[in-house]
Amino acid sequence: MATHHLTLPVDVEAIRALRLGDLVTVDGEIVATGGLPTHKRIIEAMEGKRELPFPLEGAGFFHLPSYSRDTDQGFEIVYINPTTSTRFNPLMPKIIRHYGLRIVCGKGGLDAECARAMQEVGCVYLSILGGGATLHTDAIKEVTGVGWSDLVTHYRLVKMRVEDLGPLTVGIDAHGNNGYDQLESRARERLPALMEELRVARERAAAGGGSDPAA
Amino acid sequence: MAITYEAVKSLTADLYEWSLKRIPDDAKEALDRAAAAETNESARKVLSMMRRSADRAENTDRFVCSDSGVPVYFIKVGTQARFEGDVKRAISDGFAHLVETIQPPLLKHVTNPLTNERSYAGKDMPMVSWDMIDGADYIDITCAPKALGSGRWASLEIFSFPTLEEIEAYILDVIVKTAAQQCPPVTIGVGIGGTFDYCTKIAKLATLRPLGTPSSEPVLAAMEERLLKAVNKLGFGPMGTGGDTTALAIHIEYASGHGFTPVAVCFNCWINRRTRARLYNDGRIERIGGPWRRII
Repeated sequence: MATHHLTLPVDVEAIRALRLGDLVTVDGEIVATGGLPTHKRIIEAMEGKRELPFPLEGAGFFHLPSYSRDTDQGFEIVYINPTTSTRFNPLMPKIIRHYGLRIVCGKGGLDAECARAMQEVGCVYLSILGGGATLHTDAIKEVTGVGWSDLVTHYRLVKMRVEDLGPLTVGIDAHGNNGYDQLESRARERLPALMEELRVARERAAAGGGSDPAA
Repeated sequence: MAITYEAVKSLTADLYEWSLKRIPDDAKEALDRAAAAETNESARKVLSMMRRSADRAENTDRFVCSDSGVPVYFIKVGTQARFEGDVKRAISDGFAHLVETIQPPLLKHVTNPLTNERSYAGKDMPMVSWDMIDGADYIDITCAPKALGSGRWASLEIFSFPTLEEIEAYILDVIVKTAAQQCPPVTIGVGIGGTFDYCTKIAKLATLRPLGTPSSEPVLAAMEERLLKAVNKLGFGPMGTGGDTTALAIHIEYASGHGFTPVAVCFNCWINRRTRARLYNDGRIERIGGPWRRII
């Protein structure tokens, strides 16, 4: 397991150097949203039906909804925290390919088709702690853009500059390795042996044997 | 002396806010034990980040997670409890007051399932389940806000005269399909038996037990022990990125039923949102399961 410090925008070589399980901290500008309607609007923008509030080419795209509010000093982000990326599985391959995203970040991972798109363009998926609102929020240094403010605040497309966001874990690398799929496959391979352990433990319990002294 | 509208309004709102800003002591202890035993280095770092996050939220009076969920309460009414005012309405009024006053503000998570519009209020919100306690001169309130992160992955299947093996295979199957998604390490709640509705309720209540307390039913206590070991050998780990710590506890409840046996499996994410207190006829508040700190 290696640790990396990435400053965004980042070139594709730095992304391809990352391996599953590596830890990454991020500096620089990220784009964040937590909304399904937002993803649908991005698809509409790709199809020429709508304008993007700011470019997404080569972006670090974070599934990181925020509470934002308008103040005298401009937009303020009160807090951020990740949402479940798998909700966006059907839309992400198009977005990753069209904009050549370098990073997608969130929690829960993405599916095989997303991993293929990420391999094609040179993009990684980074897992960020769910329930880490204070740590993530304290990494924000500046809000540099808020788009689609007509949406509820956690759906808005927000651009912000962060420092030392993370550590984040590489969950899908840019070489087609999807750590989430691998862990699920490995768990399924282990199931027969675990069911056998459970059978033995059940029989011991039924015989009044209590806990397994070897466990 | 009676339990008043104002007292219920204030306490239900307090319990909600408290659940957002401070994880239970038993969850902290369980995370520390898990970190000490975890063999995967990345997983240890994630677990330590969880503790830092929880501590910073508590010390700076902020939310552990941005998704404050929707308000869910379980209330047991003592048969000797006396009331003054519309205490049922006090719960929804308490949530409305919380929305107006809490700092930082809440996001709009209450969702109309027919339109997907989101706001702070909606049909059947807050969701309250009622029960009674013979002889008690208090009401016992548990607040357990629920969000998509772990709420999305609950599951139920109805079997016919299942063996324990079939039940355990189903529980593991649900976990294998969803374990990366629920913000592990989770508390797993399982309900066995009853009816469709009752089974899901006891599964949810199981997640609210003090963490790691075994079932009083020996068959289930043994099942909890062996299933927890099995789940943690699956390898999903904290946040589902690998490690030994997928679950902090499995709590199983059962109910008699007919031969059709529902099995329900649900999850509480690592921040373990659950707060509980008793409100007595004389106005006294007894906090259960953690130190009491009045927030508003």
